[in-house]
Amino acid sequence: MTSSTLQQSDEMKSGVRLRAFLLRQEVVLFLMMMIAIFILTLGSDKFLTLDNLLNQGRFLTEIALVALPMTFIIITGGIDLSVGSIMGLCAIVLGYMWNPTGPFQWPLELAVAFSLLVGVLCGLVNGLIIVRIGVPPLITTLATLALYRGLAEGISQARSVRNYPEYFYELGQGTLLGVPTQLWMVLVFVIITAIILSRTIFGRSLYAIGNNELGARFSGIPVGLYTIMIYAFSGLMSGIAAWVFVSRVTTTRSDMGTGLELDAIAAVVLGGTSIFGGSGSIVGTVIGLVLIQLLKNGLALSGVTTDGTIVVIGTVLILAILINNYIQRRASAVE
Amino acid sequence: MTTTLELTNISKQFPGVKALDDVHFEMNAGEVHALLGENGAGKSTLIKIISGVHKPDRGTIRMSGQPVQFNNPREAQAKGIATIYQELSLYPELTVAENIFMGHAPRRKIGPLSIMDWRTAFERARELLASLNIYDLDVRRKVGSLTVGNRQRVEIAKALSINAQVLIMDEPTAALTEADVLRLFEIVRLLKQRGVGIIYISHRLQEVFELADRATVLRDGQYVGTKLVKDTSEDELISMMVGRTIDNLFPKLDTTIGNPVLEVRNLWNKPLCRDVSFQVRAGEIVGLAGLVGSGRSELAQTIFGFTPAQSGEIILNGKPIRVRTPGDAIRLGIAYVPEDRGTQGLVKQMNIRENASLAVLRSISRASFIKRAEERNLAKRAIEQLSIRAYSTEQVVNKLSGGNQQKVVVSKWLASKPKVLIMDEPTRGVDVGAKAEIHRLISELASQGLAILMISSELPEVLGMSDRILVMREGRVVAEFDRKDANQQNVVSAMIRESSAPNGTTAPEGVLQ
Repeated sequence: MTSSTLQQSDEMKSGVRLRAFLLRQEVVLFLMMMIAIFILTLGSDKFLTLDNLLNQGRFLTEIALVALPMTFIIITGGIDLSVGSIMGLCAIVLGYMWNPTGPFQWPLELAVAFSLLVGVLCGLVNGLIIVRIGVPPLITTLATLALYRGLAEGISQARSVRNYPEYFYELGQGTLLGVPTQLWMVLVFVIITAIILSRTIFGRSLYAIGNNELGARFSGIPVGLYTIMIYAFSGLMSGIAAWVFVSRVTTTRSDMGTGLELDAIAAVVLGGTSIFGGSGSIVGTVIGLVLIQLLKNGLALSGVTTDGTIVVIGTVLILAILINNYIQRRASAVE
Repeated sequence: MTTTLELTNISKQFPGVKALDDVHFEMNAGEVHALLGENGAGKSTLIKIISGVHKPDRGTIRMSGQPVQFNNPREAQAKGIATIYQELSLYPELTVAENIFMGHAPRRKIGPLSIMDWRTAFERARELLASLNIYDLDVRRKVGSLTVGNRQRVEIAKALSINAQVLIMDEPTAALTEADVLRLFEIVRLLKQRGVGIIYISHRLQEVFELADRATVLRDGQYVGTKLVKDTSEDELISMMVGRTIDNLFPKLDTTIGNPVLEVRNLWNKPLCRDVSFQVRAGEIVGLAGLVGSGRSELAQTIFGFTPAQSGEIILNGKPIRVRTPGDAIRLGIAYVPEDRGTQGLVKQMNIRENASLAVLRSISRASFIKRAEERNLAKRAIEQLSIRAYSTEQVVNKLSGGNQQKVVVSKWLASKPKVLIMDEPTRGVDVGAKAEIHRLISELASQGLAILMISSELPEVLGMSDRILVMREGRVVAEFDRKDANQQNVVSAMIRESSAPNGTTAPEGVLQ
């Protein structure tokens, strides 16, 4: 085939491409989100207001920060169940090191930096166990979920740390240019991770690992190193989530972040990332996050009880995944 | 003597290949009948037909004179046909007795319940093993904790527990130690005395001469002949196995052979790479022949850094190099087209563009960002250069034919601009047309000065393409032939001969040991 005929056939496919774009997981999800917004707006006139939506952004931040690296991990076919516990441990370490009546009394900035380091270490430990010892990610992080939470409880001795200086709350409660401060942070991380995943060697390698790890190894990709890196990154982001969370709720407790892993995984999977690895995107994860948060909020504003809300969210999750699967199957059958 | 099993005019077609064409086979009670042939000659298909896994397209099967038809392995078992496959089919978490009586365990009644009768099971398992002169095996032990030899004995006992009249043994000694082999031979002789007919498949001709009464040879799915073992010789059997002419499928170009590019000295990587030394020169195609399991792929993967060498030297263009990962090998200019394109060579869910660039992402990116235009051009060039039949660079590789998939793998490694190209079974599972194209490409690459090491289980391919042929057996390079000296006879005999002393007077030239 010559290059000119190849180009022609590329052009002929532009109609097919438009169709392919409309059938993309992210686009389908986005349309579903629009429908949800429309229905929820009918339920309450407070729902579709800028104030409310921005405020929801605050509640979404911690989940978003761990859902981004979770997308990387799930694309490689792994999972990280320990993110909630790492967040709890990092929060406790932050408070414990800073605590003006505690044993260390470090400056707040140093305490924050140290807690982030602890987060990275926790993630590194996960990655090393998975890669060097060969324990499956599910088992490894299930074990460290208990381990890190236990450490957090041991250090805190069930005492909370409060009374942080006023400026510390700026991150969790303040605004910048009218938008909650932490949302800017989320935006930056979304852009960075989206670019890494879609444009770099590293991102491409993650997809290759998730689709065929052996094939990736035979192609010279340092599978072990990359795997360790994403779990360490997940630990770091859990630490950052802890920082934002402490700043937002103005206290440190050892049970912080309990169940965070499930919220993050739900958003990633709803966003179209295959739980078996190999496909997915940051855009999808972001839509998944927003959709879940809007449902929670919109239903609450419409007067649905908390238990009712959970039932509806569960149902929507299953429906969304079924619809998406159906459309993707149709799309690949046509191809 | 009565004929226990008789197959006449058996044919079996699989999509794209004729696996068996008009094959005959017959066996008497109390006979050990060897089934011989190269890889892919149709032995496996034949035993699968006998054991009810496949149904023949044509032909009849008779047992004790009566025509029979097996719709599934259970029906064959019910008629007394038992198979011991290369990969043993036992349940490692269950006891010896449970495995022996799997599916037909002795039962007893407690009221309305029918439960397993453990005492009888253990007793009968012990009796069965004793009848094979096996007294050192605890029937209550889990099979997973047994040695390979003991597991095989359990398999044999299991076969006898269904009163097997015909026992098929597929490469039974492949994984056994010397002592276990001797015990297996004793058991085979014992079964023979009891009138069990045994179909014995082995690549080791010595064993055939030690055990078998008759030998039937298949070649390319066709029946070549049946010989009484006492009336034949190793050489005759070998020539029956390989006696086919090389067709002109191999457009080998004349090349000028230059300096050594890859040199390997005393390379060790146990268990399947033992003290290997050889060199490949610029423009040269070196064929690496050997049976499955002789260590050819292991050698290639050692040089490629997938399983780094334990000791020894790898020298590239005169400089000693260290290869610890495939990444090292790629950077140094060593490329490896792996044996299994589905699991090793490609990421099938990805498209042509992504596969073609996967091993060379570094060279088409700046600061770790993949340059998309360059990547697309790379894929377009690959499609043109290798005439890959695809509608666009974005086509998912999974939807291409086997031959086109293989071309994508080759293009992926050519993109890495290698100095040495190692190809492991480059035309396996590829149709005839694509095969010829790949052969032409290999030949062209060599004439451009690339050093090529080609592993192949297809003798005509090795003989037709190589300038020089190395033969591996049990992890060692045991023979080396020049293109002009090599023929099917001497290469095969180097592949399969057990001992260093060749049988008869036709010692193949160039055997090193």
